[in-house]
Amino acid sequence: MVELRELCRTYQIGDQVIEAVRDVSLAVEGGEFVSIIGHSGSGKSTLLSMIGGLARPTSGTVLIEGEDIWSRDDAFRSDFRNARIGFIFQFASLIPTLNAIENVALPRTFGSRRRRAADEEEAIMLLEKVGLGERLFSYPNELSGGQQRRVAIARALINRPALLLADEPTGDLDEETEAEVMELLLSSCREFKAAFLMVTHNRAISEGASKVVRLKGGELQ
Amino acid sequence: MFGLALRNLQRKPFRTYALALAVAIAIGAVFATATIMWGVERSLGQGFSKFGADALVVPKGAVVNIKSALLTGEPSTFYMKGEYASQIRALAGVAKVTPQIFLTTAAGSHCIVGNAFLVGFDPKTDFTVMPWLYQKQDREFGGGDVIVGGNNNYQVGDVVYFYGETFTVFGKLDRTGLGLYDNAIFLHIDKAYDLIDSSKKYADVPSMGFARGDVSTLLVQIGGTAKANLIRFAIAKNPDVRVVTAGNIVTSVRQNLTALFTGTVALTAVLILGNVLMISAIFSTIVNERKKELGLLRAIGARRLSIFSLVFSESVMLTTFGGLIGLGLGLILLRIFARSIGFHLESLNIPFLWPPVFHIVLLGAGSILFAVLMGALGSVYPAIAGSRFEPYDAIRAGE
Repeated sequence: MVELRELCRTYQIGDQVIEAVRDVSLAVEGGEFVSIIGHSGSGKSTLLSMIGGLARPTSGTVLIEGEDIWSRDDAFRSDFRNARIGFIFQFASLIPTLNAIENVALPRTFGSRRRRAADEEEAIMLLEKVGLGERLFSYPNELSGGQQRRVAIARALINRPALLLADEPTGDLDEETEAEVMELLLSSCREFKAAFLMVTHNRAISEGASKVVRLKGGELQ
Repeated sequence: MFGLALRNLQRKPFRTYALALAVAIAIGAVFATATIMWGVERSLGQGFSKFGADALVVPKGAVVNIKSALLTGEPSTFYMKGEYASQIRALAGVAKVTPQIFLTTAAGSHCIVGNAFLVGFDPKTDFTVMPWLYQKQDREFGGGDVIVGGNNNYQVGDVVYFYGETFTVFGKLDRTGLGLYDNAIFLHIDKAYDLIDSSKKYADVPSMGFARGDVSTLLVQIGGTAKANLIRFAIAKNPDVRVVTAGNIVTSVRQNLTALFTGTVALTAVLILGNVLMISAIFSTIVNERKKELGLLRAIGARRLSIFSLVFSESVMLTTFGGLIGLGLGLILLRIFARSIGFHLESLNIPFLWPPVFHIVLLGAGSILFAVLMGALGSVYPAIAGSRFEPYDAIRAGE
């Protein structure tokens, strides 16, 4: 499903070259839940962004469903992200001017599968699934942190992705909400048979992962 | 994507309305200026198309005077020999030639019409005065008659008095847009020559400065198939005369009016340029403000072109909205300034004709297009910049 080969990313700040990710090779099977743990600055988010086609690796290869995404052009990667990858970020990643339904249906705006009525129906179905059937028309500023995260999960699932990438998805949530969100993520991945890659510094939420890999100084331990 | 752009505009209403108002002011100025300039051109064109003469022959050195006399009706006197008329008439292609002689009323008690511009014309050969008769007495024009221009207050049948003689107002001309024809008093050319003798009766009246048979200008009409330029060149071979065409008078007026409007046009251009730069600066700020959001859109599948379209369409929507307000503002401006501009043109003796409604609609559409272009030009740079963010960097903006 996902194969990383000697993935590297370096930054240059002035004369100093910083190796954020160094020679990471990893394989993730379809439907598998892999947790990447490490301290802040260990390169977890950078690694996830390279896997998701958001940040170009300095070297190495990212193969998703056999496709070397970094050998293709930006338009291909955009379409690929839209169709095959779902993202859940650490921050409240909703568009403030759109209500819950519109936020969830937003990825359909960019894809080739757009059918407004059907998209909205599907968005409603997903929002009901994540327990927000009563807040369909609420705007992000009318939702709690946990509810916003649920909307983001519904949005990540709308195109039935093969790969779900989550970057500290419960970072700013209380313990109870954290457990609910994690449960929701795992059940959704099982239902959609999606591979799930999550980066976190919280070892506790990695329970249930089929594989836990630790990143330190940009290297897999 | 358009829906998202529209929602973005609603996000900060003050900023949106302030920007739209700035665009509206510029577009209002563009629309009002363009409409007025078109109206002036139309007014001029109409006046000269009815003038009838293709060329005026004047004494060498009197070109500026004739233009001023024709356009403003400012009394001007200059003379040449009348025999040139027969020479010009003999040229192949010349259809009609008619003389006119210019004189002014004298100051003092001998003339009661004030500082009037008197024009002697020959009713037998005339083709530029009589066709403009709007009201007239039901008889032939005679030596004791005058015809007054459309701007005069005299009415048909009134009596006017100059050089110790009384004249009856035989008729009144329609307004022509030419100062000479609108302001002057026309009398029979033979009577004009007689006034030389009348003026000599008064010691305080200066000599007229011309002799019987002299003329101020010869108005020439060229036959339909004749080559106008060749005839003009043939006439101009006479070193003592100059040929003035209606066309170059229009050009001269246009140049004067262009000078009149240059300030407005320059101000408008500065406004537009300022608006484009302002839009560019504000949208650059907006793009940076929303960097995280743009990164997020990229993450969920927006192509670079989609991000470009989002910023671009937001800007174009805003300026189009501003343009529509600007049209309303322009119409109000036109209403407010119509009278003042009308009075100004009145003082130049140029009647102001509004462009036809269809043309005003066209100008309105053009102004809106201008607004669209302002939005497009202003947003190109920020839209490109926004579309070039690396998604990961954009998402992490502010961290």
